[in-house]
Amino acid sequence: MKISFAKPALPAEGALVVGVFEGKALTPAAVKADVAAGGQIARAIAASRFEGKKDQSLLLQAPAGLDASRLLLVGLGKAEDFDAQAAEALGGNIVAQLSTANDATVTIALDGLEASPLTHAEAAAAVALGGRLRSYRFDKYRTKEKKEDKPSLKKLVLTLESHSEAKKLFADQDLVVDGVFLTRDLASEPANVIYPESLAEVAKSLAELGLEVEVLGEKQMKKLGMGALLGVGQGSARDSQLVTLRWNGGDKDEAPVAFVGKGVTFDSGGISIKPAGNMEDMKWDMGGSAVVIGLMKALALRKAKANVVGVVGLVENMPSGTAQRPGDVVTSMSGQTIEVINTDAEGRLVLADALWYTQEQFKPKAIVDLATLTGAIIISLGSHFAGLFSNDDELSEKLTAAGKHVGEKLWRMPVDDPYDKMIKSEIADMKNVGEGGAGSVTAAMFLKRFIKDGTKWAHLDIAGVTWAKADKPVVPKGATAFGVRLLDRLVADNYEQK
Amino acid sequence: MLKILFEKTAAREGIRADALAVGFRPGLVFLPSAKLPGLELALALKHRFKGEEGDVLTILTPAGWLVAVGMDVEEDQDEATLRRIGSSLFAELCDGGIEHLAVALDLGPDDAAELAYGMALRAWKPAAKYRSKPDPDDDWSLTSVTIVTDHPKAARRRFERLQAVAEAVVYARDLVVAPANQLTPQVFSDRLADLFTLGVSIEILDAKALAKQGLNLLLAVGQGSVHPPLLAVLRWNGGKKNEAPLAFVGKGITFDTGGLCIKDEEDMGEMKGDMGGAATVAGLIRVLASRKAKVNAVGVLAIAENMVSGSAQRPGDVVVGYNGKTVEVIDTDAEGRLVLADALAWTAANCKPSLMVDLATLTGAVEEALGKKRAGLFCNDDALADKLFEAGEEEEELLWRLPLTDLYDDDLKSLIADIRSCSWDDHAPDHIHAARFLQHFVPDGLPWAHLDIAGTSEAGEEDEGDEPITGPGPTAFGIRLLDRLIEDMAQLDEEE
Repeated sequence: MKISFAKPALPAEGALVVGVFEGKALTPAAVKADVAAGGQIARAIAASRFEGKKDQSLLLQAPAGLDASRLLLVGLGKAEDFDAQAAEALGGNIVAQLSTANDATVTIALDGLEASPLTHAEAAAAVALGGRLRSYRFDKYRTKEKKEDKPSLKKLVLTLESHSEAKKLFADQDLVVDGVFLTRDLASEPANVIYPESLAEVAKSLAELGLEVEVLGEKQMKKLGMGALLGVGQGSARDSQLVTLRWNGGDKDEAPVAFVGKGVTFDSGGISIKPAGNMEDMKWDMGGSAVVIGLMKALALRKAKANVVGVVGLVENMPSGTAQRPGDVVTSMSGQTIEVINTDAEGRLVLADALWYTQEQFKPKAIVDLATLTGAIIISLGSHFAGLFSNDDELSEKLTAAGKHVGEKLWRMPVDDPYDKMIKSEIADMKNVGEGGAGSVTAAMFLKRFIKDGTKWAHLDIAGVTWAKADKPVVPKGATAFGVRLLDRLVADNYEQK
Repeated sequence: MLKILFEKTAAREGIRADALAVGFRPGLVFLPSAKLPGLELALALKHRFKGEEGDVLTILTPAGWLVAVGMDVEEDQDEATLRRIGSSLFAELCDGGIEHLAVALDLGPDDAAELAYGMALRAWKPAAKYRSKPDPDDDWSLTSVTIVTDHPKAARRRFERLQAVAEAVVYARDLVVAPANQLTPQVFSDRLADLFTLGVSIEILDAKALAKQGLNLLLAVGQGSVHPPLLAVLRWNGGKKNEAPLAFVGKGITFDTGGLCIKDEEDMGEMKGDMGGAATVAGLIRVLASRKAKVNAVGVLAIAENMVSGSAQRPGDVVVGYNGKTVEVIDTDAEGRLVLADALAWTAANCKPSLMVDLATLTGAVEEALGKKRAGLFCNDDALADKLFEAGEEEEELLWRLPLTDLYDDDLKSLIADIRSCSWDDHAPDHIHAARFLQHFVPDGLPWAHLDIAGTSEAGEEDEGDEPITGPGPTAFGIRLLDRLIEDMAQLDEEE
């Protein structure tokens, strides 16, 4: 879908969208359309329950007096509440409503926002962003989709006086969406297509954007002593990979900020095999790594003025004659030994080595990992928040604030001493699961043991937010790419030179 | 009951201590009282004892049993550390044959009292009355402890305040451990009469009164049992006459079978303890009364037995709650939120409190989230949430705040009633749903907190070596932290 910004004018074709504030208060654009349409809008509103509230809309087909094929009235709610998130949601909802309406072009006229916290340009950029985010589709494997089921919408035009300013504001966000879409693609791809080596290839292809990409194979990881990561991959016929993507947009000597992703391209559970129901969801157990790869793409595309490193540990967790067994003890790159009690608690094993490697190699000023790590986080917080675990209050606040801005909400969970004894092993330095509940907390406690003293670290457990079971305003059902926008915002707000 | 005395010296008339506990700092630094000839010799024999906090070593010296105790590095130890040392010292020595222990850890009076408090909190066992013949293991060998301090009088004064709490903790633990056939709703309310002698006024709403007043949710949960439900209201009026009370509401399911949505056998074993929240509330009122707290407080206990029978409520039943809202009952095993809903609405309407805190062994999900180390804190008021969290940290009854927002309301939508009691999804955040459900029965503007103590109300065998300060068994979670909250708030008032 193409997006453009233009001067206010009634469109010669396609659908026209105009706003109405709560209390049936028409925006100037709506008034203009009403005049052109001979008062049809006012009549339609009077005949309906449409009041201009948030999420309300009213569709008029083939309005007389207008060239537009249809006219969509959208509720803007109260002007003072019309913030960036409301504008994004509005854009998303418009696209959802008109995507198969038979129009190739949709024109959204934005004006009358003087009482809103946003300027017209900001509002237009946010509406465009929401619209594009919602337009995502993963349809490459449909070979026989009927024409009427395919989206007709090809072009979104936002009209406003300050259109060139809006275009400028949208430009960077547009690039971030490119990253979001890559992440969604990767998480949506089946596990016979995306496996460690093919995912590493995708990462390598980003080198053309100016990223430095390095791929370590099993041999090199063995040399580095990554026994925890390699143990997870040893049951699979596919080779494990560790991929580093570097973006050097900041000062030469400045320590980077690091993002580490869990990339289990398929998680069968291993010998501790999962129940059959919904096992297909485990193709997106590489969601954390997909976020890191999509994020690095976004940062490179918009030429972020910061040094950032992304590290993803890629493995496939399969049961086989060579798979690791419950009870196995593995030695991690840090030298610490781990008793593997449950082979399905594999993400933390991958992250343990990836986190250690990242600290040794890059001495980052902060490190944030993302992982679809535990089922317990889904019970703990549902799908409205991701779990945030951190050893640093300041980093936690920065992350929480960034999440609030982009509508990817985090909730802080404990990762402190009372839980430490829960992962004590009888024979090794630690075991990979605890008993007695708090499964997400003990997983985070496990990761914490691979964070060096003084390193600012946060862990995002995204198991509950990586895949949407139902459409949301800016996220269609399916892969959400939760984390790309959040971390892009984190970098923009805190780590980039102004 | 363990006898605890404070004296200037270890030697007491008539009683000779069998053992003397002396203190060390990390690195095997001898505290003054530890400088004993026999001990230096014994420790020279390369024991592993290094004087680290919590280390306890019992050794036989020519002078008798000596107990080396590791203390904190800091001279000014915090209360929690001293309590922990007291608790582990008691656990270590209670059944080894020693009857009279003298503790000479060179402590000032306040520290001595805190150490004693730790011992008193740990010194609880299920009452022996449930056996037909006394079992020798039911009693500890240790019967008395003398703690040496410069100012015994000051220590006694401080301990008196703490002992009020320790005794209430014992009181609540006794209630929780009582078998469900011997603690029916009626017996539970009869036992609350003990509090009358302390000056607590007691009002009982029996089933008839509940029906008259419209507490139909509480009645619905109890309707499957031959023991009818009731609401017990405990009032302690130690404050100013017209001051609005602080309200504490407890879930008191004397036994929870789950009802028609009956529990698995392994989940049912501990269900006599499903009245832990109510026991804590009773214990808290007991503390306030026995320390004559200058505060008005009301404790409301929603007591019922959730049984399976021909008269039990069914999934799908719709019940009108006390505040007029209609509830579609989904899982009959999500009964705690039903009895609390009525109790909260009733308390808000009839007691007009300035704040309201409820405690309940409410959901399995909270244990999935926070385990047994922290209880779930849900609150509609940031200031109250912060105060509760802090009080919990200080008293080592740890809380963690969890979301309470309308984002989860979609999950509680009912097709036919105002709200449904839970969702059927096994992976749903049921603790959050439960808290949000309760909020529909709390009037807007009233500061309210809900503590889900399902994970923290009992310490089991699996916690061995990592137990709370109260040791194994029911913890009476919440008494200490709420008593602290009330004291802190009273202090703030005074400062203002």
